Amino acid sequence: MSATTDDRYEAKKAKAMAMGGPEKLARRRAAGVLNARERVDKLVDAGTFIESGLFGSSGTRPEDNDRSPTDGKVAGFAKIDGRECAVVANDFTVMGASSGATNGRKIGHMKRVATSRGLPMVFLGESSGARMPDHMGARGMGALLGNDPTQYARMRETPWASATLGLSYGSSSWYAVLSDFCVLRKGSVLAVSSAQLASLAIKEDVDPEVMGGWQVHAEVTGFADHVAETDEEALAAIRTFLSYMPNHHNEAPPVCSVPADSGSALANIAKLLPAKRTQVYDIRTIVRAIVDTGSFFELKPRFAKVAVTGLARLDGRTVGIVANNPLARGGAMDTDACEKITSFLVLCDSFNIPIVLLVDNPGFSIGVEAERRRAPGKIMNFMQALQLCTVPKISVIIRKSYGQAYLNMGGGRNSDEVAAWPTAEVSFMDPTFAVKIVHGLSPGDTGFDEAFAQMNKDSEAWGIAAIYAVQSVIQPHETRDYLIRMLEVHRQRLTNGVGQHLMRAWPTSF
Amino acid sequence: MANIEIRSDVSGSVWKIITGIGDTIEPGGTLMIIESMKMEIPVICEEGGTVQKFTVAETDAVNEGQVVAVLSK
Repeated sequence: MSATTDDRYEAKKAKAMAMGGPEKLARRRAAGVLNARERVDKLVDAGTFIESGLFGSSGTRPEDNDRSPTDGKVAGFAKIDGRECAVVANDFTVMGASSGATNGRKIGHMKRVATSRGLPMVFLGESSGARMPDHMGARGMGALLGNDPTQYARMRETPWASATLGLSYGSSSWYAVLSDFCVLRKGSVLAVSSAQLASLAIKEDVDPEVMGGWQVHAEVTGFADHVAETDEEALAAIRTFLSYMPNHHNEAPPVCSVPADSGSALANIAKLLPAKRTQVYDIRTIVRAIVDTGSFFELKPRFAKVAVTGLARLDGRTVGIVANNPLARGGAMDTDACEKITSFLVLCDSFNIPIVLLVDNPGFSIGVEAERRRAPGKIMNFMQALQLCTVPKISVIIRKSYGQAYLNMGGGRNSDEVAAWPTAEVSFMDPTFAVKIVHGLSPGDTGFDEAFAQMNKDSEAWGIAAIYAVQSVIQPHETRDYLIRMLEVHRQRLTNGVGQHLMRAWPTSF
Repeated sequence: MANIEIRSDVSGSVWKIITGIGDTIEPGGTLMIIESMKMEIPVICEEGGTVQKFTVAETDAVNEGQVVAVLSK
């Protein structure tokens, strides 16, 4: 190359690497927020990032070419903990990382390569939404929107992880909720459009945090699988999530080494369950005692707390934990809990992750509010998801298992194996309620005691074990060994640990 | 000093108030126990603080979302 060509290359590269310019970058630094390139550096293994589209710029307005390095979205391939991934990081310093023609082509290429070559996909979201005036008018719409019929068709060929690290509107939010894992950094906003536009549209002041802040998505919508204090924490959460996942849907998840003290908490596991049957406890202490030490990664911990969902490892192998948590409302499952569990079952089944269900709940929440929130539909979505799972499923009944919820938590042939602790209690409903419903009698009424005696049938573990509707009664301290052994028995040998993925096209949010 | 309203997650009746006015509650600490669905459901203070007042008494019926105590922080 001649000196002139070299100079031109270097100048163009320097311009692209300078992003939105020193002033904007300095403002971010002062606010303690990483820029797009720093985020990629913190996410991936050092020296592995190979960029795609460094010299891209605005594709529709030549007058914007000079101020649109990379067209506002840094894209490329890199290794995360040694595994190849595709990454898109929004660069908010360049035209607010707004969506434009060129960066749309970049995202499309990343997704195509990830899907066809079996690479996990990571989105680092922070975008003002569609670029203006590029999208305006009939020609803008026709040229920029809707030209990729697969753009939002999620078939879960490879895992997607997203972080929302600032203001996120439009397609940045779409990719966040289309992902299998979504982390929000505190201070971020994930919404359809900006608070300013919402205020103009509905003629009232809208607070962005109230509209789409981390608390909304952690506690109300459930979109946030995880909340982070800082960008660094959010990026670490993505690496943690991916560590449980296979690269793509046609392989089993990776196997990790087992921490030496795993299972040591089992000696005291019986003490974690209160002797008094009416007393509640936090199921997560039991989960942590059973799984490999330090491996429990809870998803959506602040949403629908009656149900606990999370990834963990047993003997180094990824499992999905679905557990009732009596600490919250006695563990009675509401519609949010149904959606939380359904989406988690779909995730596990789509990526060949066996499921362990820990059961202790008095049933589904019922009543006017539950019906208005479409309880029958949500309960059946959950039930259908469980029955469509083709990964191994093992249920352990710890204490209560009642009514339809018995089936939803894997009772009968809805899990491949069902075990019960000696403390298990299985029946259709509380016998006092049954007497009231069948005979119209309440405690104290004449005939109540006789009717109660008739309804109060043996609900102990031994009864259900006697008819082989549970296959094993195990001591609490045997739970870890039982699960490891049974998961080994049920390993999908005929398909190398790969399931049928019957729900791969189910929604990523409900 | 900010006041924090503590609400019951469930409908039921107040079974036991296990703290007193002026007590300091640690984050995640239990303030009182509601009996609901034949279970003892704790009312937990996620943030912690000092108990200023109770707005319910033992055996009172409570509704889901009802304020049961006010803490200061």
